[in-house]
Amino acid sequence: MAPAATNTQWSTDFDTARRQRLFRNPPKDKTAYPLLAETVAPHIESFNALFARGGQIEESLKEIGTKIFLDGDALAPPEEAGVRNRLHVRIQDVFLDKSVLPPSNKVTLGDRKVLPAECRERHVTYRGKLSARIQWKVNNGDWQELVRDLGYVPLMLRSNRCHLETMTPYQLVGAKEESEELGGYFIVNGIEKIIRMLQVGRRNYPMAIRRGAFTNRGPGYTPLGIIIRSVRPDQTSQTNALHYLSDGNVNLRFSWRKAEYLIPVMMVLKALVETNDREIYEGIVGAAGSEGLAEKQFVTDRVEQLLRTYKVYGLHSRAMTRAYLGQKFKVVLQLPEDTSDGEAGTEFLRKIVLPHLGAYKVTEEQDSDKFRMLLFMIRKLYCLVEGDCAVDNPDAVQNLDVLLGGQLYGMIIKEKLDEWLNSIRLPLQDWGRKGNWKPFTSQDFQKDFTAKILRRTVGEDIGKAMEYFLSTGNLVSPTGLDLQQTAGFCVVAEKLNFYRFISHFRMVHRGAFFAQLKTTTVRKLLPESWGFLCPVHTPDGAPCGLLNHLSHKCKIATKSVDVSAIPKLVARMGVSSKASASLKASVVVQLDGRVLGFCSSKQAKVIGDSLRYWKVEGSHGVPLELEIGYVPNSDGGQYPGVYMFSQSARMYRPVKYLPLGKLDYVGPFEQPFMSIACTDPEIVSGDSTHVEYDPTAIFSIVANLTPFSDFNQSPRNMYQCQMGKQTMGTPATAMRYRTDNKSYRLQTGQTPVVRPPLHNEYGLDNFPNGTNAVVAVISYTGYDMDDAMILNKSAHERGFGHGTIYKTKVCNLEEGVRKNRSNKTVSRLFGFAPEGAVKAQWRMHLDDDGLPLVGTMLQNGDIMAAWHTVTYDDTRGELINLDGQTNFFKYKEDEVAFVEEVRVIGADSAAEPCQKISVKLRVPRSPVIGDKFSSRHGQKGVCSQKWPAIDMPFSESGIQPDIIINPHAFPSRMTIGMFVESLAGKAGALHGIAQDSTPFRFDENNTAVDFFGHQLMKAGYNYYGNEPMYSGITGEELAADIYIGVVYYQRLRHMVNDKYQVRTTGPVNSLTGQPIKGRKKGGGIRVGEMERDALLAHGTAFLLQDRLMNCSDYTKTTVCRGCGSFLSTTPTINEYARKKKGPLQVRCRRCATLADSSATKSEVWTDGQGIRYQGGDDIAVVAVPGVLKYLDVELSSMGVRLKFKVGP
Amino acid sequence: MSGYTANQATTAQDASGIDINARAVNYTCGDCDGDVQLKRGEPIRCRNCGHRVLYKKRTNRMVQFEAR
Repeated sequence: MAPAATNTQWSTDFDTARRQRLFRNPPKDKTAYPLLAETVAPHIESFNALFARGGQIEESLKEIGTKIFLDGDALAPPEEAGVRNRLHVRIQDVFLDKSVLPPSNKVTLGDRKVLPAECRERHVTYRGKLSARIQWKVNNGDWQELVRDLGYVPLMLRSNRCHLETMTPYQLVGAKEESEELGGYFIVNGIEKIIRMLQVGRRNYPMAIRRGAFTNRGPGYTPLGIIIRSVRPDQTSQTNALHYLSDGNVNLRFSWRKAEYLIPVMMVLKALVETNDREIYEGIVGAAGSEGLAEKQFVTDRVEQLLRTYKVYGLHSRAMTRAYLGQKFKVVLQLPEDTSDGEAGTEFLRKIVLPHLGAYKVTEEQDSDKFRMLLFMIRKLYCLVEGDCAVDNPDAVQNLDVLLGGQLYGMIIKEKLDEWLNSIRLPLQDWGRKGNWKPFTSQDFQKDFTAKILRRTVGEDIGKAMEYFLSTGNLVSPTGLDLQQTAGFCVVAEKLNFYRFISHFRMVHRGAFFAQLKTTTVRKLLPESWGFLCPVHTPDGAPCGLLNHLSHKCKIATKSVDVSAIPKLVARMGVSSKASASLKASVVVQLDGRVLGFCSSKQAKVIGDSLRYWKVEGSHGVPLELEIGYVPNSDGGQYPGVYMFSQSARMYRPVKYLPLGKLDYVGPFEQPFMSIACTDPEIVSGDSTHVEYDPTAIFSIVANLTPFSDFNQSPRNMYQCQMGKQTMGTPATAMRYRTDNKSYRLQTGQTPVVRPPLHNEYGLDNFPNGTNAVVAVISYTGYDMDDAMILNKSAHERGFGHGTIYKTKVCNLEEGVRKNRSNKTVSRLFGFAPEGAVKAQWRMHLDDDGLPLVGTMLQNGDIMAAWHTVTYDDTRGELINLDGQTNFFKYKEDEVAFVEEVRVIGADSAAEPCQKISVKLRVPRSPVIGDKFSSRHGQKGVCSQKWPAIDMPFSESGIQPDIIINPHAFPSRMTIGMFVESLAGKAGALHGIAQDSTPFRFDENNTAVDFFGHQLMKAGYNYYGNEPMYSGITGEELAADIYIGVVYYQRLRHMVNDKYQVRTTGPVNSLTGQPIKGRKKGGGIRVGEMERDALLAHGTAFLLQDRLMNCSDYTKTTVCRGCGSFLSTTPTINEYARKKKGPLQVRCRRCATLADSSATKSEVWTDGQGIRYQGGDDIAVVAVPGVLKYLDVELSSMGVRLKFKVGP
Repeated sequence: MSGYTANQATTAQDASGIDINARAVNYTCGDCDGDVQLKRGEPIRCRNCGHRVLYKKRTNRMVQFEAR
């Protein structure tokens, strides 16, 4: 009998046995936590879409098209040049293989797969071979094919190029992964990296913008404009902007290869289709004789101006206009020299003008789509200028898309491919020049093309470029990819604990550009974000509001849905192609930035409503994921119309559609114009169309795990989201196979008593993050002042909050040694030098092989591994050591560590001696005074004492608190949720049940206090959670009843051992003599201006002197009383005695005069050069700051003399 | 902390270092868990499965720390 399918339903319950079974026998069919897999879906699916059939790369290749190169000397005079041959090159296909051993490995015969775990352990990149099939022909010859290697490209885990893709939890455990390995990240040099999701402008939607910077484009430019981010099928984008000029003209702006260009929009209109002024006029203003034309005086004036000013160009037909554009842009677009102007113009329109409506093989129909879209944009622009519509907010999620990691990755690959093809030009020219401009048709070319030309292309190693991108997050790009930033795309997916790890995948960044902006408008929490971005989960400080997290129910579209049925449906509902003049009579209907037609505003509502009904119903070929943004007519609000979006990179979220009671997906564009009730009682008949499935859907995963967060003051919930991610928890279950630089682990993690059902659904019991603690809220002993907390010493001894840090040190022999190609050039080996003596002291920590003993204790300065230099001896065929010297890798940190694991790492080829080891060290960190703890309500505190259990207060049932916190922590912070958790935790512990802590479950009539109070009462406790307690010191009953309960406590990773800084004397700056800064270097803490002020204010002059002088750059120096100079004093040299005993004689060179014969011997002194002086003996020794002397020297170099009046 | 009191007697004995070259050390294969004996300068791989990561075994020397 086959075992039953793994149950994926979870509740709040502890389910201890079930969890234990899952842990012991990982499921062999599917994961028990499907919700967890869903969180990373956008990342993985976007990567999968790259190499799928018809995927992003395939579309890119179509867009790149065929590159044409000409032979012959470009600089030759035309009469000599003759007919130039054309070489066509195109990429037919790009393949990405799974990760396997390279061919250089001739040893491994069976399984050649390289699994991600191996890459982590070996500190290498998890990557697969990228290769391209390219085709080339000369003139009209036959296409010839060849396959080129493009290097090794990093692969996303659990994508369709990963070995783990279809593995079951059971197999994953076998592959040394977590049983619930999520994937979605890359492994680069053994470090897990993810490409952050980035918010970019909504695609294919013309946004009305008012931006002061627009006026900088030139005279006449106004702040008004329409911007559309037009996205090609390969997800690369081209931004087109229309600028309104104060005289009524409209210019089109675009960027190409980081340069900005402006052209009259009329020129583009005329180039797109064969048209006439009347068509353009009616397209913008409205059909002649249509309703409301008379009121349109404003627009008609401007359109007339638009048409008139264009006349100066004298371009009449479409062909002429295209030729004109082509002539101007031929060089910019890097087209071959022999392209005709007309063709170049066509190419210009294809590449730059609204490419979302046709990016390759552009048909007449697509050109007319572009034409109509441009007309619509002008319409909207004039409407904006007239004040009939409002500007769109570019910071609201309504107008934002999410650029997914995979998409960005594909965009970069596309660009690298394009650049690589372009780079053939140079080697081709070199080949021509060296070969006396031989034609491409010659026999030699056939031979040389692969051997000489393709080989010398630049950027063929795309793998290296991608690895660079992932490891640094920097985008090296000639075009900039239409993005506003060039750095910070990738971050390390830190596995500090599971909350932090999972948050990385739900993180959406607004862009590094906005981080520098002085205005805070971009950071604002807008109502449009409801349900898409978590209102709570954003860090405070610099990235506040820019780094958001997706709500846990929010999804991101990773592929376009089939909308082929929509245009017909819309046409049948009465949409006409002609627009009339007034906005009431005709509003636009668009699908993915394509104008489907115009209809009346009433009709638009009908269209929106019916499409929505069909969409939820699943009929008429309307897909459920389609976004139908019906913007109603308003008085100067958003420009009305029906805007439909079907493509990827959109956010959407599930809500219930009331007419059918079924699931509907809602996007951020349509949401502001819909009526979605939050809870069932809030449904307004006749108005509400949707209702939320659950109000908690607006929170991110981490924010959802704050118990009773609806009882807290909102910033406290934000703090908890922060601190949850800094907790020492359980980062992974496969800790043995991980080699993170640093990882924190809580030894005694527990499942919280108080938690929402989501805790189980996301499988968080696999990664416990804290400990349930009995918490009393008393002011006891005084050691709980100011957010300090007292830890029960016995609780500490039982392992409360006991943690460990694992650090991995890599000892790499190849580091710093220049790598040669031959494998015989191993120049260092691990181990003791064979000829040299081995000291017993070395063997304390090292084994026979020179590697550390597993289990040994290391202290600062201890040796960690031994190595010696070797050279290859040809006669003996082995590596020999000549110098007999043994060198060491040392352990340089201050803390005691134990060697946990030693990995001996081989090369890819499995044929090289050991060059790299990785040592995992364990640093024990039991809680000490000064370590930071927090509850889940933003209530952090520092352990101030470990109080002996006998002196702790105890309750009537003999319970002692594990933790004591001060009541003053509550009034100002208002974290009522913590009280409720305490109450619920106490009741849960007494009854042995898990408590549901989902927010918004209680209300005024049905309070949480009552619910849990009754539970407590049933267990024989005080309804309010207070208990009489007795002093542990006197045994007397405390005067007040004490609030005591069970709260889940997290231990934060900030520990004193990493922070304490102490110094009496130590390293100083060599120039100034002042102490250096930095804890690592043993520096001091700065007594800054404010500290100085405090010392001054207290009148503690001696302390001030001590800090600023004695403990800093105290220097004794000599100064001449006569001339008041530091610099002129010099020690004297005795002419006769070699070294005179006694104090050093110092004289002032400046006040001295050359000794004359009359001077007595005792008056005369000699300087270093033997010149004899007399006088200049009015010298004093003073204590000054060292920098003062330095200042004097610096000033004197500029001819400024300092004169010190030395008294008394 | 000066708690490390490893057995001095054995270290002194081992440290003779006459033929450290020929002495083989046992490792555990990261994939098949088999024993791998390697001498100085030998390529790193499991002879059985060809895996490229080997773990060092826990020392069989006495490891004793002062408990404080």
